[in-house]
Amino acid sequence: MSLIIDVQQVTKKYGNNTALNNVEFSLESGAPVALVGPNGAGKTTLFSLLCGYIQPTSGNINILGHSPGNSALFGRLSALPQDAQLDPRFSIAMQLNFYARLQGMSSKQAKIDTLRVLDMVGLQDATKSLPAELSHGMRKRATIAQALLGSPEIVMLDEATAGLDPANAKEIRAIVAEHADNVNFILSSHDLNELERLCDRVLYLESGHLKQHQTQDNNVNTRYITLRVKQAYQDLIPKLSIIPSVEKIEMTQDKEYLLTINSALSANNVEIDLLKILIKNNWLYSHIINGKTLENQLF
Amino acid sequence: MNFNLSRLFNIITFEIVRLFKTKRGLLALLAFSAIWFIILYYFVGSASSIVTSHSFESMAKQLFGALGLSALLAWPVAEYTIYWLVAIYFFPSFALLVCSDQFCSDKHRGTLRFITLRTTRAELIIGRFFGQLLIMSILILLTAAATTLLASLRDITLLSESVVLGIKLSIQLIIVVLPFIALMTLLNTLVSSARLAIVFATLFFALGPLLIVLIEYQFGQTFYLNLIFPGGQISHVLAQSSDFANQYILPLVQTVVLLISSHLIMKRASL
Repeated sequence: MSLIIDVQQVTKKYGNNTALNNVEFSLESGAPVALVGPNGAGKTTLFSLLCGYIQPTSGNINILGHSPGNSALFGRLSALPQDAQLDPRFSIAMQLNFYARLQGMSSKQAKIDTLRVLDMVGLQDATKSLPAELSHGMRKRATIAQALLGSPEIVMLDEATAGLDPANAKEIRAIVAEHADNVNFILSSHDLNELERLCDRVLYLESGHLKQHQTQDNNVNTRYITLRVKQAYQDLIPKLSIIPSVEKIEMTQDKEYLLTINSALSANNVEIDLLKILIKNNWLYSHIINGKTLENQLF
Repeated sequence: MNFNLSRLFNIITFEIVRLFKTKRGLLALLAFSAIWFIILYYFVGSASSIVTSHSFESMAKQLFGALGLSALLAWPVAEYTIYWLVAIYFFPSFALLVCSDQFCSDKHRGTLRFITLRTTRAELIIGRFFGQLLIMSILILLTAAATTLLASLRDITLLSESVVLGIKLSIQLIIVVLPFIALMTLLNTLVSSARLAIVFATLFFALGPLLIVLIEYQFGQTFYLNLIFPGGQISHVLAQSSDFANQYILPLVQTVVLLISSHLIMKRASL
């Protein structure tokens, strides 16, 4: 695994407002990384700094061995910046073709690659359309397509699925999952379920501070199971507490329970014990999740 | 600053596409064609009869002499006398309009964020500038070619002289418009719309000289601040009386200064 992004004590101020405060992290190549945080936490500022759209007030950023905006990163780093729009005067294909040629492709290669990425996002029939002729979701997909041109090593997607219908959002998630082995994705989203499915590393920003930089892997003995049931069952906690390896059960939200498992306490398979109790009591479950949900990890 | 020629070429050629494949570009071309049709048909086309007519000859000599334009009457192709009078003022003004949106709307819309992941800001500025320059050069050459055609239709023996004069005047016009295009490049780094860029350019030319007079009056000495205004040499170029430095070096230096300023602003700008 090689270091792809190294952020050292980065601060970004807008006048008296500090958007990012002494943020420091490094990312190695691998599975997609989630950038999470409430509105105004500094996610877009961090994306903009990594892309070279803005300069840090202080600190250093190194991406693939270069500073952001360096020409050595052209074609290696791509992004879907939040709110950026394509030029309304040109067709989608014409603009993507231009971007592909700027990345160093020949005219023929650019045409082929434009069609490839538009096909990936399901816009193969809209190549000649102007952005204004497309729906919001289709425009979003077109901007995602531009981020996939060529073979980028890092792709940063800021709120990629915001505004997309469930089917298209699923399609975009599938694209990310499919290419995650070759491309380092950094995703920002408010949809924690989505990030949970795609990412196993999380950067959590709050008020300009990087609160957590962690993997979701649990340690050796203690692990967690999240159980969601269809209805509220009164004696669920006492009955599940009987399972030998269950150390603690807490209700995280309505009809959702977090089981702390200590595998040192029993050699039995806790999932099987859990399912047996659910069946025996006729309790209906909707999800059994291995680990904490991202929501429970962060909030 | 290191420039990648392939990226520069792509940016420049895309500017041509912007002119011919967008509604705004085609409307500008249509307006340009309509204006030049009137100029060529009604003024340039009848130039020889006006300039060489006995009744007008003495008046023209007095008028052109008073304006310091006697050299123009000595040109063998009368059509170019009228062409030159119009073109020398038309093209700089037209450049301010046509080149008003080099990248300000892209910046406002966020499109520059896609582009700057693939090209440097310096390449973008230089590429868009040369793209606009290429467009202006094509338009200047087209009008010169039309004037040559009109002169040749009147008298085919004027063809070779028309071509030579047309090329010479086209080069001079291109040099004249250079700093005007660069001024719009600079304004594009500062404003968020083409309309604002035109407003700022108008204010620059309208209020700038007044400001300079005030400054010089206040301090009681000349600072040569008028050298920052593109087109200060136009009246001399028109009369074909300016020296080499005034005619070529001043606009070139102005262009370089404006482009370097644009680069310095753009380099630090937030996109």
